[in-house]
Amino acid sequence: MPYKRTEQKFNGKINVCEIGAGDAAISIGGEKTLPFLGDEGFKTAVGIAISDAPEDWADCFKTIYGDDLKNPAAFAKAAVEKSGADFILVKLASADPNGADNSVENCVATAVAVEAAVKVPVVIEGCKNAEKDAKLLEAVAKALENKNVVLFSAVEDNYKTIGAAGAMAYGQKVSAESAVDINLAKQLNILLTQLGVKSQDIVMDVGSAAAGYGFEYVASTMDRIRLAGLGQNDESLQMPIITDVSSDSWSVKESVFTEAEAPEWGSLEARGIGMEVTTAAACVVGGSNAIIVRHPESAKTIKSMIAGLIG
Amino acid sequence: MSKFMVIGERIHCISPAIRQAFADRNPDPILLRAKEQLTAGADYLDLNIGPAERDGEDLMQWGVKLLQENFDNVPLALDTANMKAIEAGIKVYNRAKGKPIVNSADAGDRIGYLDLAAANDAMCIALCSKEGVPADNDERIMYCSELLERGMEHGMEPTDMLFDPLFIVIKGMQDKLMDVLEAIQMITDMGLLTTGGLSNVSNGAPKHIRPLLDSATIAMAMQCGFSSAIVNPCDRRLMETVVACDIIKNNILYADSVLEF
Repeated sequence: MPYKRTEQKFNGKINVCEIGAGDAAISIGGEKTLPFLGDEGFKTAVGIAISDAPEDWADCFKTIYGDDLKNPAAFAKAAVEKSGADFILVKLASADPNGADNSVENCVATAVAVEAAVKVPVVIEGCKNAEKDAKLLEAVAKALENKNVVLFSAVEDNYKTIGAAGAMAYGQKVSAESAVDINLAKQLNILLTQLGVKSQDIVMDVGSAAAGYGFEYVASTMDRIRLAGLGQNDESLQMPIITDVSSDSWSVKESVFTEAEAPEWGSLEARGIGMEVTTAAACVVGGSNAIIVRHPESAKTIKSMIAGLIG
Repeated sequence: MSKFMVIGERIHCISPAIRQAFADRNPDPILLRAKEQLTAGADYLDLNIGPAERDGEDLMQWGVKLLQENFDNVPLALDTANMKAIEAGIKVYNRAKGKPIVNSADAGDRIGYLDLAAANDAMCIALCSKEGVPADNDERIMYCSELLERGMEHGMEPTDMLFDPLFIVIKGMQDKLMDVLEAIQMITDMGLLTTGGLSNVSNGAPKHIRPLLDSATIAMAMQCGFSSAIVNPCDRRLMETVVACDIIKNNILYADSVLEF
């Protein structure tokens, strides 16, 4: 019998989401098949992470960035230049009420300075305290009106404020964070849509884990979400996925133990990059449309992997 | 597994309002019924123009264009005894959201509808009957096999045929209903897709009883593999049952607000 090539046909399509404004704008999503099986929508965007409180970052970043680490605008500019990233993520970690508890005004000023310093789209993360993030990301959305930034991220406890302020009042994109819970991922998209946020203005932060630390669950979550969006044409799951692997990758023993603590493991910087690249690569082939890393070398490596896969 | 496919039955020339709208080429009543059904969750709309012996071709083309232009190329089932009208409808049909469905062929006089579907790369509803309701499942499966062979001889994919076991009415043939469910299981076990006019089950029952009988039947049929049905999507109880069964069958992903999207 002659060989008959059968292709799985999907009737759904992932939304295209544009982030950034003017010449800086990029778009993510738009694919009609599982990752890298088709022609469209697989130019995964690679982002570089910075923080307004990088004190606990590994020493190698002090070598890379020097005094720029203390000035978010300079930090942002250097990070984009050194990594060649398509976009930047700024973590407003100092806002944490259980940490430095920096004021909303100060953090907004940081976000505005970062946005002005770079020519790439900006993703703005709060401090992962739902109550503070609601106030903070709402104020950020207002201050950066029409810059089309991504508010990273709305959770069940604050989606109303962030969704209404960000995506509806000030023309931003809103990310919905579901921490590796597929049912919640769908639920948050439904809730945001009911609120009045357009599907095209939503991206999904479905969560991650460092490779080797329960990543199988991340992989199956991404698979299930993509199969629902593409195969079952589930419109509540057709939003592009954005994944930040930087914090997870740099907080496991392989990327935390110093060379003095684990001399047999070699360079901490190389280990951190290794963890980050492994995790990011797995997310990219799992379906992330935008991936965020911390080390400029990780960004370059993932960019070249994506270019190689697209061919 | 794919989620259950709902074909909305409410654009039907048996309704006086729709029949009049067809005659006058008046879009409003048709668009209204289309919108109601799509809002309620219909995947396909059945466009039944009746025998349409006189101006079927023109009427079908008018109906197809009207619905697809107003509802983002909604996929349609073209339903009439006039084969030329179906062909005419397919000529103007936009396939962006799914193939047209020819409604319907059987193993008797209407077997030519299967040839028509094959020739036009359409899907086809295939009634497992020849003359009237099949006496038992031996007959049903025999007709199913005949239709399957005929379709495949003409180059159709088996999954482009939707086999209808013929639901029977409870009031009068209650003792035969479990046979229909068994037939769905048998057809499903052959790797084939099924459909059926579900509302026939509760025909003649009081209005408040019908949704109960229809939704219970669809749940039991879905357990047997039933993959689509021609129904009234405005029956909320029925549609909620379909969603719940799709969740239990893992055809769609659960979320707390799953009924609200």
